[in-house]
Amino acid sequence: MTPYSILIVSPLVFALVVLVGNAVVRNIFTIIFVIGLSALSLGNIALFSISSELHLSHLFHNLFILLDIIVLFYFLWRGVVSKHSLVIILALLQIVLYGVVITLSPKLISSDILVDQISSIMYLVINMVGGIIIVYALKYIESEEFSRLKKNGFIAMLFFFLAVMNFIVSTNNIEIFFLLFELTTLCSYILIGYRNDEVSVKNALKALWMNQIGGVAILVALLVSILQYDTVYFNILIRIIDVNYLLPIVFLAIAAFVKGASIPFDKWLIGAMVAPTPVSAILHSATMVKIAPYLMLKLAPAMSGFVSITVTLIGTFVFFAATLIALSKDYFKEILGYSTIALLALMMSLAAIGTPEAITACILLIMFHAVSKALLFLQAGILEKNFHLKYVNDINGLVNHSKLVVFFIIVGFASLTLPPFGVFIGKFMAIESISKELLMHPLYVFALIFLALGSVVMTLLYFKVVAKLFAKDVDLKLPHVEISKFYTIPSFLLLILLFIGIAISFEREFLSSAQIIVPLVLILLIPILFSTLLFKNAHRVKEYNCGEKDGLKLGMYYFYLTERTTKSISAVSIIGLLILIIGVLL
Amino acid sequence: MFDLKKYRKKSPWILHYNAGSCNGCDIEILACLSPKYDLERFGVINTGNPKQSDIFLVTGPVTFRTRERLVELYTQMPEPKVVIAVGSCACTGCVFRDMYNVEVGIDRYIPVDVYVPGCASSPELIIDGVVKGLEILEQKTKEMEKPFKLFKEATTDDGIVNRRHSALKVGEDDAKD
Amino acid sequence: MIEILLILFAPILGGLVYGFERVVRARMQNRQGPPLLQPFYDMYKLIDKQSFIVNPYHSILGVMHFLTLWAVVAFVILGGNLLYIVFLHLLSVIFIILAGFSVNSIYSHIGSNRELLATLAYEPVLVMLSVGFFMLNGSFDISVIREHTSSIFPLFLLFLAFLLVIPIKLKKSPFDASEAHQEIVGGVEIEFSGVFFEFIYMAKWLEYVFIYLLLLLFAGNNIILGAGLAVAVFFLVNLVDNSTARVKMVHLVKIVLGIGVTLGMLNLLGLGYV
Repeated sequence: MTPYSILIVSPLVFALVVLVGNAVVRNIFTIIFVIGLSALSLGNIALFSISSELHLSHLFHNLFILLDIIVLFYFLWRGVVSKHSLVIILALLQIVLYGVVITLSPKLISSDILVDQISSIMYLVINMVGGIIIVYALKYIESEEFSRLKKNGFIAMLFFFLAVMNFIVSTNNIEIFFLLFELTTLCSYILIGYRNDEVSVKNALKALWMNQIGGVAILVALLVSILQYDTVYFNILIRIIDVNYLLPIVFLAIAAFVKGASIPFDKWLIGAMVAPTPVSAILHSATMVKIAPYLMLKLAPAMSGFVSITVTLIGTFVFFAATLIALSKDYFKEILGYSTIALLALMMSLAAIGTPEAITACILLIMFHAVSKALLFLQAGILEKNFHLKYVNDINGLVNHSKLVVFFIIVGFASLTLPPFGVFIGKFMAIESISKELLMHPLYVFALIFLALGSVVMTLLYFKVVAKLFAKDVDLKLPHVEISKFYTIPSFLLLILLFIGIAISFEREFLSSAQIIVPLVLILLIPILFSTLLFKNAHRVKEYNCGEKDGLKLGMYYFYLTERTTKSISAVSIIGLLILIIGVLL
Repeated sequence: MFDLKKYRKKSPWILHYNAGSCNGCDIEILACLSPKYDLERFGVINTGNPKQSDIFLVTGPVTFRTRERLVELYTQMPEPKVVIAVGSCACTGCVFRDMYNVEVGIDRYIPVDVYVPGCASSPELIIDGVVKGLEILEQKTKEMEKPFKLFKEATTDDGIVNRRHSALKVGEDDAKD
Repeated sequence: MIEILLILFAPILGGLVYGFERVVRARMQNRQGPPLLQPFYDMYKLIDKQSFIVNPYHSILGVMHFLTLWAVVAFVILGGNLLYIVFLHLLSVIFIILAGFSVNSIYSHIGSNRELLATLAYEPVLVMLSVGFFMLNGSFDISVIREHTSSIFPLFLLFLAFLLVIPIKLKKSPFDASEAHQEIVGGVEIEFSGVFFEFIYMAKWLEYVFIYLLLLLFAGNNIILGAGLAVAVFFLVNLVDNSTARVKMVHLVKIVLGIGVTLGMLNLLGLGYV
């Protein structure tokens, strides 16, 4: 048994185990299993050979085809049941295209499974961060009012998701990739619709049809690649592809844009907020959306010239636009959601640039974005469960009520923008690699501007929220709530991962040692000073309000995007995608 | 060692408060800061912020509405500090004395160090007053001095000194609150 | 050795520049003005004053702002990575912004909001500036940039954009809305007093050192040009400060972002083609 096959199969088996049994047994087994998974994915990077290949037998292929047909017909059935015409049309389209693809499918000659370095890193992200989120979900789902089976089913579904994700990052066959792509769509459909109320069902269907567009794009890419290059393998396709005929790459890139919820496909990820918070956490950090940059990384060697520039420009534009939209939001999870979209777009554009430095930056972003976002979503869950807070405008003065949660939120946001955290290093290297490209092609100047504007808007956004936590509010009277260990321990683990990230970047010398140590000391100094220097003897005074004495309730600045602006943002990104397709066709 | 104490008066920052003045004195104060009289050569800055100022320039006879704000601003100034009453109104109440809505000068509420008379007082006089105030500032100890007309002890509220109702009307009973 | 001395005495150097500036500004207005050492008299007085605090977070964040800014200046003097320095500088700004929000005072909040918006306006320009230097010298390192010849002509448009940034950072008219002394009483610095205000005051001096050191980069290894540039910009900034009114925050963002980013873009496009 190779490590990757354990990583793929064992969560599947465990998902079945979890379905039965009471909460305590389930929790204990889950924690042990998650530790095992993480250890294995860590060991995979450290001990086993980096690259391994496997050719699956014919039986497996037939099984996959069968599974695929079942999934597609399930989508069709869901579409018919809920009378959603788009789902029906897209499902039918996929069934037809898939039929054509399997009849044309060439002889299978290369390895179906190809585990390389990027896959190993993805295992790490998926299993460690995903595992931590599942541990968190154990407690979270217990506080919801569902039947025992449904609660267990939720955990089982998350494990199934992990298995699918582990598989998708190991496959080399685009047909299998398509199946797994559809399976993640299925997972997200079920998890988003988990609450089974009106909004959930609506948003689940939205997620379904948007992701189906991605499925169609993959099928088109598959068809073109079979017709033109007679192959269904990533590695062969990338090796033999003609620079002047990049159509399959472009369609795969569009599938990535859909999975990455890039504007104009952003609505499904935002709609996913209605599901229980662990679902958002796992969708945003470890699984699902991470397929997008992963796919881009896989395609990176084949991208060149026009495609590379266009994808980079679209990506950086979406980065800027999504942060701008996030700035106009007030719902905590929505802010996190749009910043995920932004960072994913950035990762994709970095992968499209394709220089070694850009690839490194992209991988760094994938890893540490997962950790930071997971940390933040866990806090969002705690805020909802323990404090019944959803909106940023309500959270002011939280520092007086729960120092721990505030600390986690601040670290989460700081790690997405400030030195010396991983995401910062990723962004830093992004600017460096774009400026190197700028010497080759002047059009990258727009990418640079979008990136610079986007990162400063992002800072504005994050510190608007953080400032709100500090801002004192006389009205807020929260009860003292003991936060469950199931909530705090996963957060601490993620925190440790963040600092391990700093250690890695220290060791790999992404930045010089002084560049890492100085901000680290400065940032670590703050909590130390906060807890030691209380100024007990200092003279306290009220704030200066022109001699007025009434306590004031202060709001934060409000940024408003007009309908026209949001529409034109979507329009620009759609035009960008069209230019990409048409440009390649010409 | 040479005496550093003498540099202490070289940087007086001013807080200017209008306690119901007719604006005559205020214009003169602003004139002092303007190029012609140039108070800044003594290091004076008009901060407008009690927490960073040393000299409290008050104009006007203290109307009832401004009473509490006057004391609030005074208490928000860190020690050592000097209060200068600018204009006859601030010194004695002037023509407004004994009116139904006006107090008799600011020294009923906060301790005044320098009185600058005149209606309105001329810039030369104000500069003279400020320079006099600087000498007093130098002499003042760092010890917190309590305003002698505050009848109530300041209460604390969550560790923060609350001076909301510290200023009572003269003659008003302390136990009333 | 000289570098370490420079780093240690950077606040004092900044204080001298600030003191000189106050004299120059007074002379421009036909006043006598305060003595050259006035900022140090202010500092000495502030040590003696009683310090009030509103809450511990506020005071600590203020001190952190100063420390981070000092680290930034140290990086500049030691010749670190310019792009990195721009982001580390952002960290220091974030500290003061958080400090402003941590108290329940309207002026402080407005000041912080404006500071955030000002950051939005100048940060892209600084990033583009560092990319411009990179394209010209092949490295982000300031030590490399200092060894190359003057880059004022190839980066002239970016230099103009940088001129727009200077008044924002030094809180000068017409772009001083984030401090706005008589309007919002100093904005973020309002609640600091006594010793804690000293840190904010010194941070202001360090900001002078930071900005003028960045300006010197345009001169490259040409020391005479650097000195000339610094003096010329110093007088220009003060002249503009004395002769213009404050613009609104909206206009500040529009002007600096619009003109600055356009100039930077044109310059980078030009560098790419040449």
